[in-house]
Amino acid sequence: MIALTLSLVLAYTDQEARSLFTEANDAYYRQEYPAAIEKYQRLIAAGQGGPDVLFNLGSAHLAANELGPAVLYLTRASRLSHDDDIAAQLAVAQQRQLDQVIGAQETEPFLQRLARAVDDRLVTIGFLVSWWLAFVLLVVFFRSPAGRRTVLGLVTLIIFVAAVALGGVVGVHAWVTTSVQEAVVMVPTAPARQFPGENAKIAFEVHAGLLVRVMEDTGRYLRIRLPNALEGWVEKTNVTPL
Amino acid sequence: MARTGSALAITVLLLAAGPVLGAELEFYMTVDRDKVGTEDTFRCEIVVSNAPEGAVVQFPTPQDFEVLSRSESTQMSYSMGSGGMAQIRQIRKFTLVMRANRAGHLTIPAAGLQTASRTYKSEAIKLEVVPGRLAPDPRSQPKPPPNPFGLPPGFPFADDDDFPGAPPGVNPFDDEPGIPKSDSDLFLRSSLDRPEVFVGEQVTLSVLIYSRMDLMGVDSVTMPKLEGFLAQDIASPTNLQPEERSVGGVRYRAYLLRSKALFPLKPGDIDIEAAEADIASGVYPFSQRKMHRKSNALSLKVKPLPAGATNVGKWRLSSTTNSTDIALGEPVQLKVILEGRGNLKAVTLPKLEAPASFRVFDPQQTEKNQITKNQVGGQRTTEYVLVPQQTGRFEVPGLTLEYFDPETQQIERTATDPITVVVRPSTTGANAMAVPANNGTQAEPNARNQLVGGGLKSLRHTATFSEPRRPAWSTPAFLPLAIAPLALSLVLGAVSFVRARAGQEDEQSKKNKQAKAARKRLAQAEKLAGGGSTVEFYAEVDKALRSFLEARLSQNVTGLTRPQLDEVMKTANVSEAVRGRVLGVFETCDLGRYAPGMGDASARQRALEDAVHAMEVWP
Repeated sequence: MIALTLSLVLAYTDQEARSLFTEANDAYYRQEYPAAIEKYQRLIAAGQGGPDVLFNLGSAHLAANELGPAVLYLTRASRLSHDDDIAAQLAVAQQRQLDQVIGAQETEPFLQRLARAVDDRLVTIGFLVSWWLAFVLLVVFFRSPAGRRTVLGLVTLIIFVAAVALGGVVGVHAWVTTSVQEAVVMVPTAPARQFPGENAKIAFEVHAGLLVRVMEDTGRYLRIRLPNALEGWVEKTNVTPL
Repeated sequence: MARTGSALAITVLLLAAGPVLGAELEFYMTVDRDKVGTEDTFRCEIVVSNAPEGAVVQFPTPQDFEVLSRSESTQMSYSMGSGGMAQIRQIRKFTLVMRANRAGHLTIPAAGLQTASRTYKSEAIKLEVVPGRLAPDPRSQPKPPPNPFGLPPGFPFADDDDFPGAPPGVNPFDDEPGIPKSDSDLFLRSSLDRPEVFVGEQVTLSVLIYSRMDLMGVDSVTMPKLEGFLAQDIASPTNLQPEERSVGGVRYRAYLLRSKALFPLKPGDIDIEAAEADIASGVYPFSQRKMHRKSNALSLKVKPLPAGATNVGKWRLSSTTNSTDIALGEPVQLKVILEGRGNLKAVTLPKLEAPASFRVFDPQQTEKNQITKNQVGGQRTTEYVLVPQQTGRFEVPGLTLEYFDPETQQIERTATDPITVVVRPSTTGANAMAVPANNGTQAEPNARNQLVGGGLKSLRHTATFSEPRRPAWSTPAFLPLAIAPLALSLVLGAVSFVRARAGQEDEQSKKNKQAKAARKRLAQAEKLAGGGSTVEFYAEVDKALRSFLEARLSQNVTGLTRPQLDEVMKTANVSEAVRGRVLGVFETCDLGRYAPGMGDASARQRALEDAVHAMEVWP
C-alpha cells in the first residue's frame, strides 16, 4: 500500500516520463551505462515501467557486462511481451554466462510452456464470456419448448466445454505463476550448499545470470533447482526473484 | 703503506761474461693499510729480492688473522750499472689476503727467509682493527662508462644511458659480497641490482654461489617467497657456468644460480628472505660432499608512484593498417604495437575510440616477452578489425598511453597517429554470385558488403509507461465473475422449484376460488328462483355452472355445445354419472329459457338443486 501510494505520488507525467526515457537512451549511447540504468530505474520505481523500459534497462546492464541484472530485467520484459528483440538480447546474455548447465531439459515442462504461450488476459476474458454464455444458454434451454431444445442443447454443450477448457488454461496459468517461482543469480559467484547453513559443504557454484527455480524458502536460504535438476541451497541475497 | 724490515746489501761476484746478477738481497713485509675493519680483507705482501738459490720463505702464522688466500709472483728487472755492466734483479712477491678475527690493536708476526747460510726476519706489523667494515662498499664504486659500441640511443633495449635508474646489462657478478666468517670456501649470496625502486619498476634478484672448491652440482634451490612482487624468471641455468671473481682480493668461482625480475606491487620497505641451496662438492665418487648453504636476506625500499600513474616502464606505441581506402563492408585491420621495457602484462592500453559508423570487433592480442641484459620487456600486438557500416571519410583517432618512466621520474606519453580511412561504395553486393571462370572453375565470390549479424539489439525509442499489470485472473473481480453464473443458476433453479410448487397450490386455489365464485353466482340465481325473469334465472344458472366447469377443467367452456362439453369432460376423466348430471342441468336451462312451463317456482327450484348437486358431486 505504501509502495503504491509512493508510486502514485512520485509518478511522472507522460511528458516527463518520455523525457526521462530519452535521457536514459542518450546516456546509453554515450556508453554512460550507470547513468542510463539509474534513469530507467526511476521510471520503474515510479510505477511507469513496462516491457520497453525493462528491455532497455536489461540492455544497459548487458552493455555494462552486468549479467545478473541483464538477465533479470530482460526475462521480466519477455514475460510481458513476446518479442524477437528481447529473445535475441537474452540469447546474447546467455552466451556470456559462465554457467553451462549440462544435461538440462531442452524445453520447459508442458504446463509452463502453455502458461508462457498464452495471454492470460485474453484467456481469462474468454473464459468468463464463454462461462457466462454457457449458463445463459442453459437457462434458455430449460425455458424453451421441447421441440427447440436439440440445437440449443448442442450449442450450449459446445460452449460449456470451451468454457471449461479455457478455465483450465486460466488455472494452469495461475498455478505456474504462483507455484513455479524463478530467480536469477545476481552476484558473480554464489556457492550452492548441500544444506541451508554457512558451514554446509559447497555442492557447486552458480554464477551471475543463471536462471534457477526456487523450490523452498527457509528465510536466509533458498533451495534452488537448475534446469538439469541439480539442487543446492544459496543465500537469498545472492538471487533476485523474477 | 707500512714498510718494515731490514734491507741487506750483499755484494755478490757475478759471472765475468754476460750480464751481472745484482747481489743485493732485500726481504721485507708490508700491508696495504694501517687500519681495517673486522669485515675487511687486506693484502699483506712479502717481498724477496735477489734471494739465493734454495732460500725458503717462512710465512707468518698469526693467531688473530685468517689467511684467505695466498699467491706468488716473480719479476725480473734489468739495469745498467756503473761501468756499463748490466745488472739483473729478481723479485719474488708473496701476497696474502687476510682478515682480522677480532677488533683491537693486533700484530702480524714477522715473516722469515731461510737461506743456506742464515735466516732473515722481517719486522712484525701492527694494525688497528675496528669492528665492521671500513672499506668502501664495492657497489658504490663508480660505474664504468657506457659501451660506445652499444645499440643506438632511443632503442628500447639499447644499453645507452636512457635508464640510469635501471641500467641495462647489470651483471649479477658485479656485486661484490662480503666473505662470511664461516664457510668462506663456499657460500651463497643474494643481491638486488638496486636498493630502491618505484612500484612496478623492475629490480633484479640474483642468487650466486661463490666457491673456491670444485662443485659437482646443486641438488635443490629454495627461493624466498617474494610476497609483494610480481616475479618473472630471467635465468635458471641447469648447467652452472663459473666466472672468475676476486672478492676482497680472494679468487672465487662465482656461479649464477637463479635470477628473477621482481616488480613491486606496493610501496614501503619489503624484506626478502634468504635463499637456500643444497650443494654437492668434491670429485665423484671419492670425495663427494653435500653442503647446505643459506644466503643473506635482503631489504628493498619501494617508492610510491606519482598520482595518476598506472603503467610503469619505458614504452613506445606504433600502429599500422592494411589499407586506408576500402569499399563498404571491407574490414580494416589496425595493428597497434606496444613495445618497450617493463612489466608488459601490467600495461593497460586505452580503448580504441573508433567512429560510430565502424563496427569494432574484439581485438586479438599476442605478446612476446623479451629479456635483454637482465631487463624484462617485450612486445604486445593488438589487432583490431573495423568494418565500416557507411561510406565516407573517417578518422580513427590515435591511441595515447601514459606511463611513468622511472628514469626521468615523470609521466611520459607515447601515442599512435590518427588514421584517415576512406570508405567507398561497394561495387558488388554481399550476395554477389561468382562468375564461372573460363577454365570452368568456380571463382571465389567477391562479397564486398559484409553485413555481419550479432551483437546487441538497438534500444526501444518509444515506450508505454505502464506498470507491469497483474494477471487478469488475480484481479478481485475475477472470482465473483467466475462464480456468479454458477450461483445464479443455482438460485434460478431454486426459485423455479419454489415457484413450481407455489404454482401448483395456486392452481388448486384458483379452481377452488372459481368453484366458489360459481357457487356464489348460483346463490345469485337462487334469488331469482322465487320470481323475476325465467330467462335470466336459467341464464344465471347456466353461467354459474359454466364458470364452475372452467375452474375445474382449467379450460374455457363458453360457447361449447353439450356434445362438445361432454367430450371435454371425458378428456378430463370426469365420470359418466357426473357428466350426465352436468349435461342434464344445461339441458334444463335450455328448456327453461326457450320452452314454456318451466317458469314456475318448483321447476326453478329443481333446476337449482340439480346444479348444486352437480357441483357437489364433482370430484
